[in-house]
Amino acid sequence: MTLEYLQIVFSFEALLTIAIGTIAGVAIGGMPGLTATMAVGLLVPFTYTMDPTMGLMLLGGIYCGAMYGGSIPAILLNTPGTPAAVATAIEGYPMSKQGRGALALKVSVTASFMGGSFSVLILLLFAPFLARQALAFGPAETFLLALMGLAGIISIADENSSLIKALIAGLIGMIIAVIGTDDMSGSLRYTMGMIELIDGIDFMPALIGLFSMIQMLELAGMKTHEIDTSLIDKQHKKEPMPKGISKHIALGSGTGTLIGILPGEGATIAAFISYNFSKRISKVKELFGKGNPEGIAAAEAGNNGCVGGSLVPTLTLGIPGNSVAAALMGAFIIQGMIPGPELFTEYADRTYPFIISMFVANGVFLIVGLTFAPYLARIALIPPAIMVPVVSAFAVLGSYALNNAVFDIYMMIGFALGGLVLKKLGFSLEALILGLILGPIAEGGFTQGMIIGHGSPTIFFESSIAKVMWVIIFILLIPPLYSYLKSKRT
Amino acid sequence: MAKKHVDRAVLALLIVMAVLLFNSTANYTGIALKTSANYVRFLAVSIGVLSVIQLGFSVFKEQPSVKFELTGNMGRFVGLLISLGLFAAAFETLGFFIPAAVFIPFIAVLLGYRRPVVIALTTVGVLIFVYLVFIQLLSVNLPGLEFLGGF
Repeated sequence: MTLEYLQIVFSFEALLTIAIGTIAGVAIGGMPGLTATMAVGLLVPFTYTMDPTMGLMLLGGIYCGAMYGGSIPAILLNTPGTPAAVATAIEGYPMSKQGRGALALKVSVTASFMGGSFSVLILLLFAPFLARQALAFGPAETFLLALMGLAGIISIADENSSLIKALIAGLIGMIIAVIGTDDMSGSLRYTMGMIELIDGIDFMPALIGLFSMIQMLELAGMKTHEIDTSLIDKQHKKEPMPKGISKHIALGSGTGTLIGILPGEGATIAAFISYNFSKRISKVKELFGKGNPEGIAAAEAGNNGCVGGSLVPTLTLGIPGNSVAAALMGAFIIQGMIPGPELFTEYADRTYPFIISMFVANGVFLIVGLTFAPYLARIALIPPAIMVPVVSAFAVLGSYALNNAVFDIYMMIGFALGGLVLKKLGFSLEALILGLILGPIAEGGFTQGMIIGHGSPTIFFESSIAKVMWVIIFILLIPPLYSYLKSKRT
Repeated sequence: MAKKHVDRAVLALLIVMAVLLFNSTANYTGIALKTSANYVRFLAVSIGVLSVIQLGFSVFKEQPSVKFELTGNMGRFVGLLISLGLFAAAFETLGFFIPAAVFIPFIAVLLGYRRPVVIALTTVGVLIFVYLVFIQLLSVNLPGLEFLGGF
């Protein structure tokens, strides 16, 4: 039986389909404003006329490729292609500026491959069992998971001077995330009468403004625009993979897969938590934020680990792990394959080749990434006077493309200007974006938990999963807090 | 303006925002009173308290007077900002292509680049790339194409 599945996957037609899907996914993920959800959603109707297995393989390839693709502009241009690549940008862009962009890309693609492959292996072996465990994860645990992600703010602060300012920045992000419709009452909050704010503020304009556009404004305002040509020589030297990176990849892979399995949790939270874990176990904590490949390894393994993980509840329970998995589920349904145990029995000849094809998709982007990394890294050598207008034009396009809204372009410019003022005053923009991304998850978990607990906060401490999560949160908080206070005292 | 003064002004603004945010929760109704309102109050109190502490540090701690410098070259910085605003304003009526065809060379020249061939090739390259990938391949709906008769 297994041999039959392998024959399907390794046929010329299937390999070509997977390769096209994966390369398209890398390109889509690499463009800010275009997401894997959008690409999979757009292509679902086209797969209806295709052979079902080939159609699913195409979409699976896009999913795998896009998750990796987001890291390329994050590393080279400080513009995360997807929100999940924000943590990658924190370490990747400083590496690019040091002339180590090729290594950053190599670490990113290797970690993405390992994280993606591990999660698909888990999907292949344990899907039905893990799906049952994920059902025990309720709103209270979701709230704690968001807190776990927000604990990263303390880690960001222990590199910089002000813990209080990092916390304030995180809270500003969470407050911005409150804008829009209140899920509980359905009433509008802080929209100031603007219909564009009814659905709240989207991640992408904020991400593009705070990461990419700020960079362009700073470049434009530089006194000189000379490039350090020594970077060219540095990039020619092949830098080996850093020693000990595998433990960070393993950590990210496990964390990402686990978080991916939880319904509703996404790659962004997985990347941040993996990044934070990595920082805790690193022997060179002081290099985090300044271009540490360990951070890239953990974050990328984490977000790609979500790919296989998110398909566990999707295929077995019909509960999509995230928005891309939801779009993929649509593709299964239009092919008459209703998610559930039948996928692994009656439709096994389609489901298993689809899962196996994702190993191939991971292999495809590994080859593509390793082949093109040295060439892509040369983007850092483009003169700022050319880089600034081109990236700015793409920033405008990327902000617009997600919702087809000109308002989002103004939001992007506003975030860039406001973010620059805050950055100059020592507020952490990474903390702000962390608050913005995790705020809605925290609020959703908190409010639903309060309803289930009839207004009592004890709900957040009741289950055994919650207790374990509190312990992990404290483990994440205490060491950086201690080292921060110690450094302040000395 | 001194950096510490800008810092204090921003913190004061955050304190005012925290108070307004806290007060706004009185308008929450129904189930939101016991759920969302509590969450927003928590955020308001947290940011308010932290801003007061930080403001206290700023006022009572001796700090060197450093000038607040948003950018090293105000002319280029403001030029880029205004151009971005105009790009966004023109987007809805003229679409992406015409404003981008003006924006890219203008900013390159503004930033001191003086190689017209490179500027022209870059501009055309970007426009062709956007047309092929966004319009043809991904069917992203950009405004203004009808105005141009397809392109």
